[in-house]
Amino acid sequence: MLTKIIRSNEFIVFLILVFLCLAIGLVNPAFFSISTIFDVLRASIVYFIMALGLLPIIIYGGIDISFVAIAALTSYATHMFLISRGYQGGILLYYIIACGLGLLLGLFNAVLVTRFKLPVFDVSLAAFTMWYGFTLFFVGATANFDLPKGTVGYYANFLVTGVDPLMGETGLHISIIYVVIMGLFIWWLLKYTTIGRGVFAIGGNREVAVRSGFNITFITLVIFAIMGVYSAVAGVTQAFLSRYFNPVIFIGQPLDVLAAIILGGAAITGGRGTVIGTLLGVLVIQLINRALILTGIPVEWQKLVVGIILILFISIPAIRDLRARRIGHTTELIQED
Amino acid sequence: METKPVPSSIQKKSSFLKLGGIIDGQSLLLLGVFITLFIFFGIMENKFLSVRSITSMGYQLPELGVLTLAMMITIITGGINLSVNATSNLAAVVAGLFIVRMIPEGAAPGLVWFFVFLAIVLALLVGLICGILNGFLVGYIGVPPILATLATLTLFTGISTGLTGGATVTGFPDQLSVIGNKPFLGIPIPFIIFVLLTILTYVILYRTTFGFKTRMLGTNPIASNFSGINNKSVLMKVYIISCIFSAITGLLTMSRTMSAAYEYGTTTYVLLTILITVLGNITAGFGNVLNIFIAVLILQILSTGFHMVLLGIRGSSFFKDFSWGVLLILIFIINYFVRGRKAQE
Repeated sequence: MLTKIIRSNEFIVFLILVFLCLAIGLVNPAFFSISTIFDVLRASIVYFIMALGLLPIIIYGGIDISFVAIAALTSYATHMFLISRGYQGGILLYYIIACGLGLLLGLFNAVLVTRFKLPVFDVSLAAFTMWYGFTLFFVGATANFDLPKGTVGYYANFLVTGVDPLMGETGLHISIIYVVIMGLFIWWLLKYTTIGRGVFAIGGNREVAVRSGFNITFITLVIFAIMGVYSAVAGVTQAFLSRYFNPVIFIGQPLDVLAAIILGGAAITGGRGTVIGTLLGVLVIQLINRALILTGIPVEWQKLVVGIILILFISIPAIRDLRARRIGHTTELIQED
Repeated sequence: METKPVPSSIQKKSSFLKLGGIIDGQSLLLLGVFITLFIFFGIMENKFLSVRSITSMGYQLPELGVLTLAMMITIITGGINLSVNATSNLAAVVAGLFIVRMIPEGAAPGLVWFFVFLAIVLALLVGLICGILNGFLVGYIGVPPILATLATLTLFTGISTGLTGGATVTGFPDQLSVIGNKPFLGIPIPFIIFVLLTILTYVILYRTTFGFKTRMLGTNPIASNFSGINNKSVLMKVYIISCIFSAITGLLTMSRTMSAAYEYGTTTYVLLTILITVLGNITAGFGNVLNIFIAVLILQILSTGFHMVLLGIRGSSFFKDFSWGVLLILIFIINYFVRGRKAQE
């Protein structure tokens, strides 16, 4: 049992995470503080949610980048719609409307994929361009700071608070609960439902899955609906956390979320992936991005360091596979890239 | 074994195959779309058909075009190169910094040209190195291309950012703008370069052994490996070519805008090149340069066309993104029905 854990991809990511923390902490001990932990977690919340929504699709064997566009369109359109009606209530209605929209947008992709037998990536590429263009042209192109009265203060709604010697009062935002609930749901879905089994089956070998009787169409619709809803939640949450609505939110991020999922052990060709791995992967990427500032590296060189770290980290599993193949230790019957 | 007569549909295919690499069904579709849109915008907006408008399009689209060619060859191997834009910017930044810092004050025009030439060589060298790194990660270590090029994209952008400190490089001598802004026999030079590179890509992919190996690798890496093709070497060369093409794009952009920056284009530019390859029906092992060429033209006229037609309407420059997405989906749906009818023959 222990060997299985140690050999798993997730454990490697965990080690990478620990190594990163130690390395950064060594350079700047201020890293080891409550405020850093809360900060990193707070920044990671929306990425956790998006990655969780994307995970089933990756395991299914598809790659999707439109989730960011869905997040932007649902959150921004919901907001512009509500304030144009003079809405002054709380956050709940935002989530309900956005999730409904997200569900439809997710299904849009799924219908195109199933009805017209199109590759997931191609459809997502079209959707990505379409929805950002749609948002910017038909809804609005400017950031909006008019938050309804009922939502004011939400950004500071903390679950736990602590006092940091350097930074003073900090807290862990309440939306971390969403991550826990949504993460548990995905975990349950993948592990204990037929749909989850189907997702792994389709990702592993689509032909076999079809012949085994899995309802591919239904499964596709479900996982894309989930992706749509999760993206919507992420978009709205991010808007409330940062206190403004951005029509091009996350536009540069889809690949980062994808990288986090794959770093966390999911196979890009599908058939493999875990919730824990995904969460760890997101943490690694977030940690690299945020904590670099603490190391004192000049701003203009930070991206370079991120690049070097990324190259090293993606090479590790690849080299491991390479050596395993040489020795003959493949766990897969066919070589996958 | 008794032989059956060859069905006529297969016979038709083999004669078509002789034109493989130049034209296929998708080309005709794209050509149709292009002509339709051209006429549509020409009717909607007279200025669209003016020499000035067409030549200005001719100056803009080659950058996207060459960058897409860079993306295309990697997609044909079944991989992808997300770092094309970052490589392009890095090449431009390095060449730009070289020109700005190395050319002595008040140098004679001849000397300036010499330095510009050196800068071009330098840019291509940057492309070569970037390609080697990508090729090493993908071919030799075996990192999935999407991850490898994502990491290198960050690395290259990081180098550009570090070298420039975030600022844009400017202050270039006039000689530099010649390539990007001047016509040759009435045709914009960048456009000529784009056409030449398109032909070169075709020749490399369909008229050389190397190209053949590349396409074989794309269709089935395992089979190609067992057929004696050195996958690692092929992939390395493919990524080198891809990054050199990206460097050329960087030079074109630098020449046209007379500046070099680490963030020109951003992530969405890369996605645009992928969108074009999808539009052009490029997949692992199969790809047609004419499709890329026409697809780039289509995107350009959609962009310029809607910009002109919607002039004055708030946010008009964003409609093109929406239209590209819609176009892509329409083409998909059309292809679906065409494929369905072909299967019935």
